[in-house]
Amino acid sequence: MTVDQDTGTQALDAPAIEQALLAFLAEQIKTEVGPEEDLFGSGLVSSMFAMQLVVHLEETFDIAIIGPELKLENFRTVSAMTALVLRLREQQGSESDA
Amino acid sequence: MPESPLAARAAVGDLVGAQPAAWDLAGELPIALLRKLGAQGLLCAEVPQSFGGLGATGQDNGEFTAYVGSLDSSLRSIMTSQGIAAAAVRRFGDREQRKRYLAELTSGKLAAVGFSEPGAGSELAGMGTRLTADGEEFILTGRKMWVTGAGYADYLMIVALHEDAAAAVMVPTDSAGLRIEKIPDPLGCRAAGHCDVYFDDVRLPASAVLGGGGQSLPLLFTTALSYGRMSIAWGCVGILRACLQTAAAHAKKRAQAGKVLADHQLVQRHLAELLVAERSATAVCEQASRAWDANSAEMVVSAVLAKHFAAGSAARAAGSAVQVLASAGAQDGHVVARAFRDAKCMELIEGTNEICQLVLAQHALSSVN
Ligand SMILES: Cc1cc2nc3c(=O)[nH]c(=O)nc-3n(C[C@H](O)[C@H](O)[C@H](O)COP(=O)(O)OP(=O)(O)OC[C@H]3O[C@@H](n4cnc5c(N)ncnc54)[C@H](O)[C@@H]3O)c2cc1C
Repeated sequence: MTVDQDTGTQALDAPAIEQALLAFLAEQIKTEVGPEEDLFGSGLVSSMFAMQLVVHLEETFDIAIIGPELKLENFRTVSAMTALVLRLREQQGSESDA
Repeated sequence: MPESPLAARAAVGDLVGAQPAAWDLAGELPIALLRKLGAQGLLCAEVPQSFGGLGATGQDNGEFTAYVGSLDSSLRSIMTSQGIAAAAVRRFGDREQRKRYLAELTSGKLAAVGFSEPGAGSELAGMGTRLTADGEEFILTGRKMWVTGAGYADYLMIVALHEDAAAAVMVPTDSAGLRIEKIPDPLGCRAAGHCDVYFDDVRLPASAVLGGGGQSLPLLFTTALSYGRMSIAWGCVGILRACLQTAAAHAKKRAQAGKVLADHQLVQRHLAELLVAERSATAVCEQASRAWDANSAEMVVSAVLAKHFAAGSAARAAGSAVQVLASAGAQDGHVVARAFRDAKCMELIEGTNEICQLVLAQHALSSVN
């Protein structure tokens, strides 16, 4: 099933998501960040922006991020967020198929 | 089940009746009324029907909130707290917690929300209250101040530090080690049951920690405050409507030296500005609710803008309404006297005027290179 789905979501493999996130962050916080950079520890993320980020991920990648998925660990870096998006797309895609 | 909380307006109006003046003077709301509205899902009307709520849109809940706000800001602020707790449970709770707490919050149980501490007012990062794991359980230590509705609540939703991040916990108000002290004689929303609360090693089961904790503190409070800001903004639209209506009615009726007040252009100016304030605050709230209902990232800033504009407008307009009524409105309990005090408090909470201005300035600056 995931194999079939892959044709529809070709553009959304890990590098594409990471690229989109890096571009979004560069635009929003006016700073170039690296995929492993700690966004929260470095003070780059304001309290307002933390929530905008969650809503942006939901809107852009058609996922719902709730409950335990909201752990800071999942948002600390661009690569953590990329993994989260991939995992939730996989899970929630298969849930809505079921 | 009503399609929208808006359908319940007349019934709520009947239940409230002429009591707000007495509530203001006594500093107390009838808890039976709160439980009754809660059991109808009206205190947090956006909870989806699948969880036992009314499933209202932000727009409809906003208009309903304005209606309650036009009657009584103490009651409206209880709705704001309950709604914040429900929004946080929806966002941060796991499957079991969403099921359990949302069912309770739409069947008569009441929740209050604690962020502020003596060392963490405008700067919430100064928070000291901490949640610590102890085997299978958790221990909460610290204090919160000015918790609206704590005097009536079954649960306090407390935001605390947790490991190197933060957590929101649902603390039952009958927990051992919890002390709740009523704040005497608040300036505004006098019947809203504001309390200072103290946690002296309060033991909680893991099921009380929303989503297991470990969330980002900024994310926790921005989520909660965004709902709260929308609710306060619409509540202030209600204050504006009450002031406009009361001032216009008084100006038409009260005569001095053979002329009704409304014949004086200087009085008309007050009415014109009240109307402008009511209409523009409504428009700003509608715009923010559209962003909210579309789950657009813009909603975060829009909620701050709406709250800031509506609270400032309500505070100024309430001053004008007292001016038009003069001695007729200069007594505690009177609708414009309440508006005057209640609206001022709305400029202090969920981000003071100054904190809102800082956020909005940051937004303005971030849109240029
Ligand atoms: C009626 C009422 C109900 C409340 N209900 C709740 C509730 O339910 N739950 C809860 O957790 N809390 C509640 N609060 C507390 C409220 O959130 C705080 O009062 C508010 O955050 C402001 O904090 P503070 O009072 O410590 O003021 P301070 O932070 O001490 O601010 C004092 C003044 O300094 C200004 N100031 C502070 N920092 C800055 C800055 N960096 N730049 C410019 N100006 C600044 C402020 O704008 C303000 O004018 C309530 C308060 C009131 C009055």
